[in-house]
Amino acid sequence: MRAVKEFFDKLAKNETYVKIFKTPFTYLTGAILLSIFQVVTFGVTGEPWGVSGTFANWGAWLYRLVGGNVDRWYYFSSAGAQAVLDRGFFNDPGTMRNLGIIFGALAATLLASQFKIKKIKSKKQVVAAILGGFIMGYGARLAYGCNIGALYSAIASLSLSGWVFALFLFIGAFFGSKLLSKFFM
Amino acid sequence: MSETSQVSSASSIRRSSASSRRKPKKNQIPYGILVVLFMVVVGVVQARRDPMLGFYWMMGCIFGFILQKSRFCFTASMRDPCITGSTSVTRAVLTAFAITTLMFTAIKYGYHSMGLPIPGMSYVTPISFATAVGGILFGIGMVIAGGCASGTLMRVGEGFIMQMLSLFFFVIGSLVGAAHFGWWKEKFIVHGPSVFLPDVFGWVGAVVVQLFIIACLYKAAILWEEKKMGGNEE
Amino acid sequence: MAEFTLDCLGEACPVPLMKTEKKMSELAVGDVLIVSIDHSCAMKNIPEWARKQGYNVEIEEVDDGEWEVVIEKTK
Repeated sequence: MRAVKEFFDKLAKNETYVKIFKTPFTYLTGAILLSIFQVVTFGVTGEPWGVSGTFANWGAWLYRLVGGNVDRWYYFSSAGAQAVLDRGFFNDPGTMRNLGIIFGALAATLLASQFKIKKIKSKKQVVAAILGGFIMGYGARLAYGCNIGALYSAIASLSLSGWVFALFLFIGAFFGSKLLSKFFM
Repeated sequence: MSETSQVSSASSIRRSSASSRRKPKKNQIPYGILVVLFMVVVGVVQARRDPMLGFYWMMGCIFGFILQKSRFCFTASMRDPCITGSTSVTRAVLTAFAITTLMFTAIKYGYHSMGLPIPGMSYVTPISFATAVGGILFGIGMVIAGGCASGTLMRVGEGFIMQMLSLFFFVIGSLVGAAHFGWWKEKFIVHGPSVFLPDVFGWVGAVVVQLFIIACLYKAAILWEEKKMGGNEE
Repeated sequence: MAEFTLDCLGEACPVPLMKTEKKMSELAVGDVLIVSIDHSCAMKNIPEWARKQGYNVEIEEVDDGEWEVVIEKTK
């Protein structure tokens, strides 16, 4: 047991280990690595990376759990959307990818010995999280995606919609910053 | 003044109070390795049911790892220029756009030149009033909730209760958005054009135009940071 | 040569950065500010911001996922 502990303590100080798992990557390294795997995703599946479309399916499953029915909603009316919903949570590739992001980030944090449960500090944070989360979800449906699907993937796909979304995202972020400094600080 | 600060920046800052280090840090690496093992097991189990499930899971884990390691944040790329004037994240995002533009177009053109349908065209979506409303709502939301879609997932993994709450309401918001989608589609989205840039400028033209725009924004980001933050530097 | 502390534990981005920016503007030259954070992005963006301002910066990991950013106002 002691030897194991010593091994991990030694590993934590190992120069190469620190470089890869402890010190943050630069933003540029992040950009390059994400782009590589974005391209791999596109090359293998024929579809670019998307995140928030899956959240709508999660919402539909939750709604079904409490007895609701989305089958007659226009959004879920296509055969494709119905098929995804009928396959279920653990058979949905998009779900697996979103859960993967959570676990990938968890692994990265633990391997750096930096994991900590960060509790909510104030009521303001509760309001900000609820309101912010909700309007992000709603907005993403109107714009056919989020910062990944409607921005990153759309721009990479040479779609003008990506640039238009970027412009309004920036306007929103500007107002969001004002709101934040006024009410949530 | 500035000279001394340059010299002393390497040395230690004198502080009267002791560091608030309370206890020796725990080594969390073993737990990290357990999580990695869990990722492998889930990947194998899912891949045996359907290779795509395993592949998406693996990509998700990799995206999550990279996002966390680099603290890559699409929210910060839009927000920091407004708040502090820093554009380092903005420039990284622009770099990502440039790389993927080139690679995606190569793949798309490859399909096109072989006479195959171009993949990923479902991401070329109509531009309408709904895009504007969606963008503004999303922009405000991601700043006050402290993370966009990928950023929220990543922070859930890091242990932020706040983002767990925000993720839940992101899902609820998506559901309500999906419920209202028919109305938005009928009123605005159907009237909006979908513009695939190669249809306008040709394949080469589209890439050149887009890279030029990215380059201009990159330059603007540098100038913006100099203007907002550079004044203090000397 | 006064020393100030700023507790940003539990604050989400970009609040720690905004609070630090505000606090630093109130400090006199030579003062030191110690910002406590547990937001993993803030441990990157606060030091980056402070360095761009030309301040002296040090970062210390005080616990798992907790840092203290020590900033000296040099001008």
